[in-house]
Amino acid sequence: METLLLPLFKNGFLSPEANLFLAIIMGITFGFVLERTGFTRSQYIADTFYFKNLAVPKIMGVTIITATTWFILFAYMGWIDLNALFTPGTYVWPYVAGGLLFGLGMVMAGYCPGTAVAGLGTGKSDALVFLLGVLGGMFLYFILYDFISGFANSTKFGVIKIQDLFGGNNYSSYIITIILEVGIISFLMLLQKLSNNGRN
Amino acid sequence: MKKDYWNPYLGGVVLGTMLFLTFAIASQGFGASGTFSRLTAEYLVHSDKSWLSNSYVASYFKHSDSALVNWTVFETVGIFIGGFISALFAGRLMFRADKAKSYSLGKRFMWAFIGGAIVAFSTRLARGCTSGQGLDGMATFSVGAWIFMFSTFAAALIFSPLFRKQWVDEEDE
Repeated sequence: METLLLPLFKNGFLSPEANLFLAIIMGITFGFVLERTGFTRSQYIADTFYFKNLAVPKIMGVTIITATTWFILFAYMGWIDLNALFTPGTYVWPYVAGGLLFGLGMVMAGYCPGTAVAGLGTGKSDALVFLLGVLGGMFLYFILYDFISGFANSTKFGVIKIQDLFGGNNYSSYIITIILEVGIISFLMLLQKLSNNGRN
Repeated sequence: MKKDYWNPYLGGVVLGTMLFLTFAIASQGFGASGTFSRLTAEYLVHSDKSWLSNSYVASYFKHSDSALVNWTVFETVGIFIGGFISALFAGRLMFRADKAKSYSLGKRFMWAFIGGAIVAFSTRLARGCTSGQGLDGMATFSVGAWIFMFSTFAAALIFSPLFRKQWVDEEDE
């Protein structure tokens, strides 16, 4: 059997220390790109929800299209084991509730945790206040955990990928992902045109 | 002279390639919310060991004496440095808050704090944020990531009218 090279860490080509060092490097590039694309400005992120600027969904969509294209190419060449990549398991109702709360918090605060960290690096005082709130929210979750753990661990399906819904393979998931991302970006651009307050 | 932001499509191609590289190296993708959960747990356990009886907090100490020896924690330190370096060279490094010009700073801070707490709480239910659940999950074809992202955007659109004054400069209209 041929040995797959990637991912490096899972296949033992990287020591835990080297992996943590590379984590800092990957984080630096991530923070750099977040700043260069405007994600470190809460007002710029919030513009999305008023259809003033669709940079956020465009960047997210193209990010997924690009990453999955690399995955499929490398998997086709036999260079990467896609099953070794960490995927969060699915908990249906906790994710619906978590997503609804997250959306409320995001339009209220204008940040998500990653963009706030990069924003703090650029000197944003509201990002600092946001992150203090984040620490408070984590504390709240810990003290309420006994009451909420039943719901938080309900409707647990483990790792389910798009292809598992109908017995397809990675290629079918890839095609559906591309259609969804292109569809969402096009639909939002249409809504922006119709809402008439978009100038981009 | 401030530089312009990157074209969103170019930004996506760069970010997507980095997300691929991150998975190819570390077998996991970007993350951020876990760092703050771990930071809170670390602080609590250090000030009072009885916090280890909380099963959620204890789960961070199974493999190590410190909750902070973790890939996402190190990566988050990098995100901060990366944001700083980029802003420095783009002439965008400055101490200020983002909001509509006429909106009061006190109210901006209040919403940032409450929103931060709500976001944090929600990431524990959702096992991640827009990075660790949204980007990583969608890139690995996870069904749960799509459930989370659709719920997030739906709620943000539904509640957006309540926060319009905080974000939209009326003279732009």
